[in-house]
Amino acid sequence: MKTRNKATLLLTAAIVGAATIGSMGKAQGPTEITLWGDWSGGGEQQVLTMVNAFNAAQSKIKVKYVVQQDVITKFLTASTAGQAPDMMIWDRFLTALYAPKNVLAPINGYLTKDKIAQSGFYKQALAELTSQGNLYGLPLTVDARAIFYNKKLFKAANLKPPRTWAELRSAAIKLTKRDANGKLQVSGFALDDLGLFSMWIKQAGGTVLNADNTKTAFNNAAGLAVLEFWDQLLNKDKVYELGFGKGEGNAQDPFVTGKIAMYYNGPWSISGYKKYGKDLDWGVVAPPAGPNGDKGANMGGFGLAITQASKQKDAAWEFMKWWLANPTNALTWGKTSDNIPGNLKAVSDPFFQKDIAWKGITDTLKFATIRPAVPGYFPMEGQALVPNIQLFLEGKQDAKTALQKAQETGDRLLADNAVK
Amino acid sequence: MQTSPVNSRRSRLLRHESTMAYWLISPAMTLFLIFTIVPTIFAFFLSFSNYDILTPIKWIGLQNYERLLTDTLFARGVRNVAFYALLYVPIIIGSSVMIALALNRKRPGMVIFRTLFYLPSVTSSIAAATVWTWMLQKDYGLVNQGLAIVGIHGPSWLASSDYAMYAIVIVTVWQGLGGNIIVYLAGLQGIPAYLYEAAGLDGASPLQQFWYITVPGLRTTTFFVLFMSLIGAFQLFDQAYAMTQGGPGYATTTAVYQIYSNGFNQLRMGYAAAQAFVLAVAILVVSLINNRLNKDADLGT
Repeated sequence: MKTRNKATLLLTAAIVGAATIGSMGKAQGPTEITLWGDWSGGGEQQVLTMVNAFNAAQSKIKVKYVVQQDVITKFLTASTAGQAPDMMIWDRFLTALYAPKNVLAPINGYLTKDKIAQSGFYKQALAELTSQGNLYGLPLTVDARAIFYNKKLFKAANLKPPRTWAELRSAAIKLTKRDANGKLQVSGFALDDLGLFSMWIKQAGGTVLNADNTKTAFNNAAGLAVLEFWDQLLNKDKVYELGFGKGEGNAQDPFVTGKIAMYYNGPWSISGYKKYGKDLDWGVVAPPAGPNGDKGANMGGFGLAITQASKQKDAAWEFMKWWLANPTNALTWGKTSDNIPGNLKAVSDPFFQKDIAWKGITDTLKFATIRPAVPGYFPMEGQALVPNIQLFLEGKQDAKTALQKAQETGDRLLADNAVK
Repeated sequence: MQTSPVNSRRSRLLRHESTMAYWLISPAMTLFLIFTIVPTIFAFFLSFSNYDILTPIKWIGLQNYERLLTDTLFARGVRNVAFYALLYVPIIIGSSVMIALALNRKRPGMVIFRTLFYLPSVTSSIAAATVWTWMLQKDYGLVNQGLAIVGIHGPSWLASSDYAMYAIVIVTVWQGLGGNIIVYLAGLQGIPAYLYEAAGLDGASPLQQFWYITVPGLRTTTFFVLFMSLIGAFQLFDQAYAMTQGGPGYATTTAVYQIYSNGFNQLRMGYAAAQAFVLAVAILVVSLINNRLNKDADLGT
């Protein structure tokens, strides 16, 4: 009995001791920082790969990734309650809307202190993270739409990937197939995203907004050229029907099943096509040039940002620097997540330059530009531009009326949403 | 006059019952107060501000309401849901009554059918909308393939501004039926069986029984369903957002989509609050008219 009591006493002492040491250790332990994002499932694993690698590589900072559905709404409520995370996986286009509200922390000082050159990143991606002269993060991924084409169908029709609008049109006509009843079987060129007007108008030598991003600038010859070309493709050459192939994904994806011979798509589809399109022989090339040889592409993607509410901004910056400014880590990130990192040195790796699919995108990124970084841009595109183009393509209004109406509604939305 | 002991005992019992009743409804009412009434009052005040959630509130008087007067997008959204309600409400009431009547018959296996009709209601509206998007394709969709069998050449439902709203009516009716069928089933149970027996003895045909017993017997149920479907119709959002993103053109843009977009995508919460109030008033007016019409109909009988 006695020995047992003694043993209990010893055990208690040991536990108390351990707890004391434990709490002492905690006092000097790593700084914990929280990263929020809406990347879940496979995306969560990709983020965790980098988070775990960072946590293992050093002992001062411990990063925790928390998946939040509807992350922006949660960020809004958390910010008002002072409960914001330290870092966010940040959809870059939101910077123009959120940065002026003072919820993100500028990182210019950190770049200067650590002598990190902005020239090491895609310039346009940094521009999208910039607001009123301050930089609010580093690019995590960059993407651009490029031409995805079915090599087998191209070979059968004796065609090469198009380099100009004219070549795109003639290829699309040749690739389109209909059955005896006129039912569309293969679309030569699926013009399925009218929001890409902003890319096409660059190819036509124009811009969506004026130089200081205060008013629309598409109601002119360049805008007209895009609409007339689309009308030609859809309504005269009939190479596609709006809605064709909609709602079909994965193994039933119309590009995988050969129902679409060519269309604009982004790098997010590459891993899926490699997985589901085992018998699919395909390639990616940069967007063709417009009538006067102008090139144009849109850049988008995510960034990492530090919140203004964070109490551990220095630690957050260390993590961001390790992940995105270090080319080796940025490359690991790109390879493990099937994303193009924003770090130019990482992108120069053969992984992105030799592979036919990735190369098509990285070629496009060389001349891709961001959508105008103002809060009113997306409302303008979604509620003024696209609806009026749809009505034009349906034959409900002519091209000039469409552009005129889009301009009136669009200018209003830009003004309503302008930073005051 | 002296109250009889019986009466006083009854009133004490009643008082006790009513106290109990207040206790029983108080949790629900408290939640209703906290999560519905208080936010509504807040929202009303915010509609006079430039509230954006993140920066301090600035009062701007009637500016939001002034801007609303010329907001053609919002006006279009309200017109669209009014048109939608005009189609949706009669269809859902008509089909719920018919199906409820069929399901109310005592036949073996009826439970299975009741479950089947309720299934769409428990499906996520976004998931259902995605499947419908596929089924409503022009050449390869199940809907048009079905129509082709009976010789009808179906339209490109979601890609046409003429048909998109009808497609949304079809999908939302399919999804909304279940709940209303249950309400009507309950309503049918409440009609005393002796009325039908008596009518049967008097030689009334089934159709006459339907018109003179079932329809009047379901009046309160119909009023409830009408009311709820109208309000639901004016709040159309999920399906229109998932299937057509408000398009093609402005064919399916809805008032709630405009409110959501202004509030959460553009951080113009004050303006969104003003829009929400205008929509609420619109719903109130329609409900009052509905109420009035029902009362008049009652007087007529």
